[in-house]
Order: sequence, then structure tokens, then C-alpha cells
Amino acid sequence: MSNLGHTCWLCLLWSHYQHCPIEIEWHGIWFVTGTFDYDLVVIGGGSGGLACSKEAAQLGQKVAVLDYVEPSVKGTKWGIGGTCVNVGCIPKKLMHQAALLGTALKDAQKYGWQIPGPISHDWSTMAEAVQNHVRSLNWGHRVQLQDKEVKYLNVKGSLLDEHTVKGLTRTGKETMLTAKNIVIATGGRPKYPTHIPGAVEHGITSDDIFWLKESPGKTLVVGASYVALECAGFLTGIGLETTVMVRSIPLRGFDQQMAGLVTDYMEAYGTKFSWRSVPKSVDKLSSGVLQVTWTDEQTGKDQRDTFDSVLWAVGRAPETKTLGLEKVGVKLNKESGKILVAADESTSVPNIYAFGDIGEGRPELTPTAIKAGKLLARRLAGRTNELMNYDNVATTVFTPLEYGCVGLSEEEAESRHGKDSIEVYHAFYKPLEFTVAERDASQCYIKVVCKRGGDQRILGLHFTGPNAGEVTQGFAMGFQCGATLTHLKETVGIHPTCAEELTKVNVSKRSGLDATVTGC
Amino acid sequence: MIFWVTLARNGSSFPPVCGCGRFIMGGHRRVEREKEERQSHTEVIRRKSSTQFMAHRLLVRRIWTLSVKDLRCLPASLSSFSTSLRSSTTPLSLLSPKRTLPRSLPHTSRREVSFNVQDHEDFTERVINSELPVLIDFHAQWCGPCKILGPRLEKAVAKQKGKVHMAKVDIDDHTDLAIEYGVSAVPTVIAMRGGDVIDQFVGIKDDEALDSFVSKLVGQ
Repeated sequence: MSNLGHTCWLCLLWSHYQHCPIEIEWHGIWFVTGTFDYDLVVIGGGSGGLACSKEAAQLGQKVAVLDYVEPSVKGTKWGIGGTCVNVGCIPKKLMHQAALLGTALKDAQKYGWQIPGPISHDWSTMAEAVQNHVRSLNWGHRVQLQDKEVKYLNVKGSLLDEHTVKGLTRTGKETMLTAKNIVIATGGRPKYPTHIPGAVEHGITSDDIFWLKESPGKTLVVGASYVALECAGFLTGIGLETTVMVRSIPLRGFDQQMAGLVTDYMEAYGTKFSWRSVPKSVDKLSSGVLQVTWTDEQTGKDQRDTFDSVLWAVGRAPETKTLGLEKVGVKLNKESGKILVAADESTSVPNIYAFGDIGEGRPELTPTAIKAGKLLARRLAGRTNELMNYDNVATTVFTPLEYGCVGLSEEEAESRHGKDSIEVYHAFYKPLEFTVAERDASQCYIKVVCKRGGDQRILGLHFTGPNAGEVTQGFAMGFQCGATLTHLKETVGIHPTCAEELTKVNVSKRSGLDATVTGC
Repeated sequence: MIFWVTLARNGSSFPPVCGCGRFIMGGHRRVEREKEERQSHTEVIRRKSSTQFMAHRLLVRRIWTLSVKDLRCLPASLSSFSTSLRSSTTPLSLLSPKRTLPRSLPHTSRREVSFNVQDHEDFTERVINSELPVLIDFHAQWCGPCKILGPRLEKAVAKQKGKVHMAKVDIDDHTDLAIEYGVSAVPTVIAMRGGDVIDQFVGIKDDEALDSFVSKLVGQ
């Protein structure tokens, strides 16, 4: 039996709620005489939650969205919009841009610009500008919700039963809402390594870094995820002494050759890396600086250094603890704590759905959450049966040397198809802009992983270089259309760009030939 | 404010009828008619409620007992009081504690002409229930044009020498209030008199346009 239906105890028929006119839940605490307060209640006002609620409202549904930000350990809080808008993509990209401009200023002198005196960066100016932009986005979302007639409640939502949501205000006031369907899109929050003494008291996370009024100073970034590398990247770029502490490998889940190029570039440009190191404790000294003790796993010895700030980027945990999920019967993955979801974002409870970062096995990306949310709203309104396609999603890591990719990593392609069934074409190229600026381009690289033989369908595409996100987006469309190496070679490049190097790729790894691009 | 009521009898719509029951005719005679109406209205309202008249007499008595400092504010307040007397939709509103002039006069003299709204209650007290017309400046710290318009508004308001107040609302601090008044873009300036929205504009205006906007609000 489909898990999208339920037995109506009045007409004793298997049905979907939307078809049965009158329902009485024998074990519930409410009687439904055909009407709920809302057609849809969305818990979570982030990228996914907002997209879903606005789409549903546009389709004529009565929708409410509940958004609440539990302040971080350091007390940081923010407005509507979720992680992406407030403590993720948006402020990250803006600060990344600030760092790139610093590098550009240095290059500018080679291009003839007369810059008097040394260039310095003021954190407060940047932070205020970034924070102001984020606030304008918070406002924009509020206006949009108002325009689309979505009821917005700044309350912490939790489930009482499969049709009732309890909302708690900051002051402790309770509201109850009943809904035909409930969608959970509460996302995640950064994890603290609670087993490390001093970690919680003295460290900050990505929730805090973008809202600091004062410069974080000499910073230790613990972790090697894209969050850690992107943060360390822009901190270095604006002139702060930054160290990245890596336990094992950088960018787990990404193509490791590309990850290596990203970290090589960062090391060459001033970020310190403490490889194979595990922090042991964090103490605050009388001077106010933080003393971090860590174990060097290679030597087994303990090391110590002082920092102004310690940024934990050791993973994210789903926001499910206070949702009341167990009571209602929504099943979670025991290890990750994320909600188990089917291809249509449904959970183990018929009318409760979950998507975005909270869904098990889902990419933690804004565009996928937005698209999935819109499709879910359309399905719930009965307008479509289309499911979200989570394959072929392109992404970019905004480290100082950006890395964009779509499709499989070389390792993944090898494991799925076998090393002999794939052909990897690659090239080391030099962006034209780097020449006059006399910049090192050793890590600017392209890799196209294809099926061997036949039409040589592209399985994965990888690019490190400036504006990797802009470069990869167009190729992602080709990838979605089932691009082959022939298609790529038949495409005439735009000159002079970095992206055109993708169309000119012809040296395979198997051949062992030098993959450095020389001249036009 | 003369409120217009359209009565529909037998399915047809009659000409607009004002609250006191007299027909108002349109066309070229309207202007004279309206003037007549206003004057007769004033009389009607005065005659209608003796308690209201009593309040008026009480007010006059209390005005004379005020200090000289407070008397400086009188001309503006008195003219606005008589305006509100003529234009009141609910005659009894004059008797409501918050709107009784004698009580608020001392407050008015001590209040700044331009102030930041603290909360919903503050807004109700100082803006909706204000005897004077109020300009509400909805702004945000992330809004560049707001920073240009702000000083211009202050200048225009200052020129009116206390005849109009300005309430500044930061839409990030008072999002619900801003949404309630239909603000979508900033800066949005709403002109309010007697709790009603008289006029509004979005974006920047130059000094001349602002002066005429404010003058219109004050009723010059």
C-alpha cells in the first residue's frame, strides 16, 4: 500500500486526505470536520522552506511558514532566509570577493595602477556592508511572503501529531496550527566538538564568523570541508594569519586530485596547513588569546600555539532534536540524525514531508532545496507528479582558487565503471590575466572524465581557476543533456577565456603525455 | 473628515450621502456646497454633542491655566484641535484620554519634533494619536537612498517649526509595523493626520518637492 494514503475511520476507506471529505482520527487529539487551519505548514524559513511555501501559496493553498533561529552558542542570531542568506552562501561569497579584490589590488600595480603605500583591510567596514546586504535580503523575504500571502510566524515549530504543529515564541507563548500537510525544512547547524575541553566556551563556528563586528585576528580553522577551506581562504585573502587544521583529507567526497590542487594553491598563497592534526584542548590565556594544543598524528607529539580565534568547521548536524519527530513517528537515520525520505520527499508519516539539508542523502545545497521545495509544493497541490532530480548537480567551492565540478569524481567513476572503462582527459592551463600579473598558475587545471570508447559520454567535469562557478554553470547544462567528448570537441571556444580550455582538452592521463597547454 | 456613504436602494446606487443625512451634489456647485457643508457640519457636530461642547469649554479653561512655555505650542495645537473638531469622524474620540489635548499639551512641548519609534505602543501614542500631523519615515540602515532622504526630511520638518512631527521607523527593528503599513521598498514616507494616512511616497524627493509635500500635510 502506498504510504501516501491513510485509513479514514469514518468512511473506512483507504484514501488520501484530500479526497476524503470528513475524517476522524481515533488516536489523535483533534476532530477534523473537513477543514484544517492551513493546507500547508512549513517548518523552516530557509532556501527550501521559503521556496516551497511561496510556490504553494501561488497555487492557491493556504500556507504558513514558521521560522525561528536558535541563537548560536556565542549568541549570534539572524532574520528570515535560513543558512544560505544569513550564515552561508551569501556572506561567504561576499567575503570571498573581498579577498579576491585584495589580490586584484596587488595585481593592479603590474597593470600600471599607481597605488600609493601599502594596502590594508578593515574588517568592520566589510562586515557592516555584508551584514547590511543580508538584512536587506531578510526584509526582501518578508515582503515577498506578504505579497504572496504566506502567513509568517517567528516561532519555534514542533510536531504534536501528524496534523498539528505547536509554535513557541521567544517569550514562551504557544500557538497551535493544524495543517493538512506538514513540511519540515529546518536544515542544519554547525557541530561543536564537545569532547574537546574549551571548544564550546572559546570557539566560534560559521554561524558567528560572518556576524563578528571585530576582526577575528589570527585564526585557527579546524576542519577540511569546503566551509573550513572557504573561510580560511577569505581570511587569508584579507590579510589575517590563518591556519587550517586537517585530521585526514581535504574536501571529503570531492575529487581528491582537485582537492589537492585547491589546498596547494592556498598554501602557496599564505594559508598555513597543519596536516594530520587533531586538536586536544583550547584554553584562554590571561592576555585573552586562545592557546590550542593538538596532536600531530604523524609524530605522535603534542604541539601548541596561540590564536585570537578558533573556528570549528567539523561538520553540520541536522536540526531535528526539538521537532518532536519520535513522538509522531518520523523515522531518522540513526547515524546522521537526518530524516529518512523517499524520492518524493515523503517521510515515514503519510502527510509529513522533509527536504533540503534535513533529508538523508540529499545534497546540502540551496538550488536543490529550492527546486525540490517548488516541485513538492506542486505535487501537494496536485499539479504535477514530477520528482526532483538530484543527479548531475553542479557545484563550486569558493576557495581562493575556485573549484567547479559536475558529475562524478575520477575515483567515483573508476569505482562505478572500472579504471579500464574510463578515459580521463586533462590540461594544465594559465589564465591570460595571470601572465601580466606574474601569478603562479600551477594549480589551474581541467579534467574531463569520460566513458572509454563509443561516443565517450562525459561522466564528470572538473575545473580549477578564476570564476569557476561561472565557467561550470554552462557546462552543467551540457552535462544534463548527456554531453559526450565529441560534443565538447565540436564546440568552438570563446577566446581568450579560461573556459575555452575545456573545449580544447585532448591529452589523456593514460597517454602519459605532458598536459600543459602551450600557447594559443 | 466628511465620510461618504453610498446607499443602494432597489438595486440602484444613489448619489453619495454624507453621514449627517444631507445630499451632496456634484459638479460645479460642489466647491460652494462643500464649503457650506463644512460650516454647517461644524455647527451640527457642535450642536449634536453637548458633552463634546463641554470638553471644548473645559479645554479653553485649561489652556488659560497653562504656563507660558506651553503656550508657545498653542497656536499649532489649537489650530490642529479645531481642524480635528471639524474633521473628526467620531466626535466622542475627543474625549478619549489619549487624545484630550490638555493632557498631551505639556507632553507635546517636551517632545522632540523628530524621534525614533521605540515599539508598537510608542507608535500608537506618538503617531496615531498625535494631535499634530506626522511624517513617518520608514528606513533601514542598509538603504543608501534613506541616508540621503533622512537629512532632507529633517530640514523640511524643521522649516515647519513644530507644526509637524517626524517619526522614524527602522524597518529591521519594527518589521511587523512596516509590513502592516504596506511598506515594501525603502525609503517610504507616510503622511499621517489624525491616525489616517493622508499621503505617501517611495524613494527620494528633492528639497522643493519635500517642502511642498510637508506643506500639504500641514494644510497650508
